[in-house]
Amino acid sequence: MLKLKHHQYGYLFVAPFIIGFLVFGLYPVVNTIVLSFTDRTLMSSSYSYIGLKNFQNLFADSTFTTAIKNTWQLWLMNFIPQMGIAFLLSIWFTNNRLKLRGVGVWRMIFYMPNLMMASAVAALFFSLFSFYGPVNQFLVRSGLLAEAIDFLRKPAIVRGLVVFIQWWMWFGQTTILLMAAMTAISPSLYEAAVVDGAGTIQMFLKITLPLIKPVLIYILVTSLVGGMQMFDIPYLLTDGRGSPGNSILTNTINMYMKFHSSKGHIGAASAVGLVVFVMTSVVALLIFFLLREKHDQSAEADR
Amino acid sequence: MKRLFGFLAVLMVMSLVLGACGTPAAPATDAPVAEAPVTEKKTILNVWSFTNEILTMAVAFEKSHPNVDVVYTMIPMTNGEYQTKLLATLGTADVPDVVALEAAFVKSYVESDFLADIGDLQKYADELKMYPFVYEVGMADGVHKAYAYQATPGALFYRRSLAKEYFGTDDPVEIQELLGDFDKYIAAAEVIKEKSGGNTYMVSSNGDFQNLFFANREQPWVVDGKLTVDPMVEKMVETVKIFRDNGYEARATQWQEGWFAGMNDTLTDAAGNPKKIFSYFLPTWGLPYVLYPNSTSSDGASTTKGDWAVIEGPLPYQWGGTWLGVMKETKNMDLAKEFIRFCTLDEENLTNWATGVYTNEYLKAIDPTVPEDQYQAAGDFVGSQVVVEKITASFDESEMSAFLGGQNSYGGFAAAAPSVNARLMQGSDDAIQRALNDPLNSFLEGTITQDEMWTLWKDAVRNEFPDLVIE
Repeated sequence: MLKLKHHQYGYLFVAPFIIGFLVFGLYPVVNTIVLSFTDRTLMSSSYSYIGLKNFQNLFADSTFTTAIKNTWQLWLMNFIPQMGIAFLLSIWFTNNRLKLRGVGVWRMIFYMPNLMMASAVAALFFSLFSFYGPVNQFLVRSGLLAEAIDFLRKPAIVRGLVVFIQWWMWFGQTTILLMAAMTAISPSLYEAAVVDGAGTIQMFLKITLPLIKPVLIYILVTSLVGGMQMFDIPYLLTDGRGSPGNSILTNTINMYMKFHSSKGHIGAASAVGLVVFVMTSVVALLIFFLLREKHDQSAEADR
Repeated sequence: MKRLFGFLAVLMVMSLVLGACGTPAAPATDAPVAEAPVTEKKTILNVWSFTNEILTMAVAFEKSHPNVDVVYTMIPMTNGEYQTKLLATLGTADVPDVVALEAAFVKSYVESDFLADIGDLQKYADELKMYPFVYEVGMADGVHKAYAYQATPGALFYRRSLAKEYFGTDDPVEIQELLGDFDKYIAAAEVIKEKSGGNTYMVSSNGDFQNLFFANREQPWVVDGKLTVDPMVEKMVETVKIFRDNGYEARATQWQEGWFAGMNDTLTDAAGNPKKIFSYFLPTWGLPYVLYPNSTSSDGASTTKGDWAVIEGPLPYQWGGTWLGVMKETKNMDLAKEFIRFCTLDEENLTNWATGVYTNEYLKAIDPTVPEDQYQAAGDFVGSQVVVEKITASFDESEMSAFLGGQNSYGGFAAAAPSVNARLMQGSDDAIQRALNDPLNSFLEGTITQDEMWTLWKDAVRNEFPDLVIE
């Protein structure tokens, strides 16, 4: 019988997670890395290692660079306003002086879009803005437009729609996280600040911001990871190929296209995945580095 | 005490791990066992498809093969779930015995290493005089790997009332004369535009007729590993541009609201003016599944039933279709082949299939567990010339013929079928053609030049096919 020392029980309890992670987390990552050096397709059983050829192809290919550029643009354009609105709302909702009523109801309403299926949201916007759709009917009949516009064929409009949908679906989630962080701050800190004569802006900068930093890092990193893998809305809004003019072609759509082509080039698709993985990791680490707790070191220096 | 605790801890972890692994798999293995009141051991044949159509034939197959249990799995294709699931299973022990393959991806499977050679069925195909394109699609390097029960030649449907108004006749023979090639089709589009004051469009979307040009190329897309543009493709771009610039098309999108609205005469432009569509390019299945169900508006106020006619149109083409193949790994090779022979190359089955013999009652008598809505209505166009010739006359009085103002629908397709050619079809066609869509539309809108269009298209193709030579 296997004998365990007292301090070893911990390993037993974490075993399910570790096993799950190794099988469903680590193995796919390692496998993706291995695949990205092959010319493997799903449609044939033989394949060979081709070194860095997949990556050479990627960087020589304008479609890939467009996809990277698009992904960053779409993410930044929805993340910045999303944080802005979420900050404003969570400050209002948690402010002791404002004492807004019905905070719970508003919070629920703002969170609602997040509960809808991405496919339903995409289908909704697709029908609204189609050539024979209600937006065109309204604009033409009210005289705002001389004739119908094919909205979903205009790169700027389609991009704007994707950004808006992403913002609209996610700002409620961010608001709730920020509110949770803000309500966790002890009111006595603010009371002390008021006694010392601090203004609202000072309190925000000197008390709120530093204390919610861990949550900010969490939001930033999870949103970055989600943004770099943006797929469902841009995939479903137009033809699933990032049209018009590759304007909403994201990394993941690009990867999916390679996987989904008639031969199923999983080698080439894995290469895209690996580049996105490396890119996301580097930026996430950079965020951790820039927002790290600095005063520990200064405290040590003071000693 | 401590040991007991340790033992309990191990048990807990074990149950967690096992529980986590066990649950999802359970329903899949339990279900068939529970429902089969088996007296003797039946041979199981696994069939995968993306519609419930073939289930009808699977049940009929069980009637003539009582010791076989066909386990039918339907996976929808709406967003490519079927293809993804099938791709993920390739090379594993979970592959089915028989797979249904749709036109868009049948060729990539036929060209791959995964389908078995079922060439010994060709003698039945010859006997039944199958339309050549039906089995040519299932061939790669001279090896037969898939057969289809239906043939899907394309045709042109037009509105009789509008034809009378603009051309003075609704007679299919005369209209075919008027629309017999694309130059004539363009000229007729101009006539319709002028006489209707721009309120009737020749066609709903330019996507409707792109297929026709692709079907009539002389070279495939890929020649010796090189991307090739046939003159017919250039002609297509030219024609589509003429249709857009002159307003011959309603600028709808296939499978979207505006496209369907034209079928029941409820299309209105954004300002609320009613617009009409003169013609639709649809294949055999387009009549019962697309045109007929959409010919009456959802409020029932507007209908175009009986106002349609069908002709061969400017160019022969085919669109869609379902092929059946056997996976190499199958353990029941002979049975799987027999199933395909029955479904696709059996005169009695094809006749029953096309003439509406497979009613729900018929299927229920064989297998009482068949769902209520499982049946095959008469009218599907089958791939055998022998069968088609025998049954065409029986459709003179059918609902579809009434829909076409008395014209025999089956006869219309029978006229179009022999000239269809699918020899150029390749696995990569679908992806290559879809890659052209977006650049082509940008070109039509005038935001890019034609040269830029070809460059963008080549970039897109290169992205999806890294091993293709593109100049």
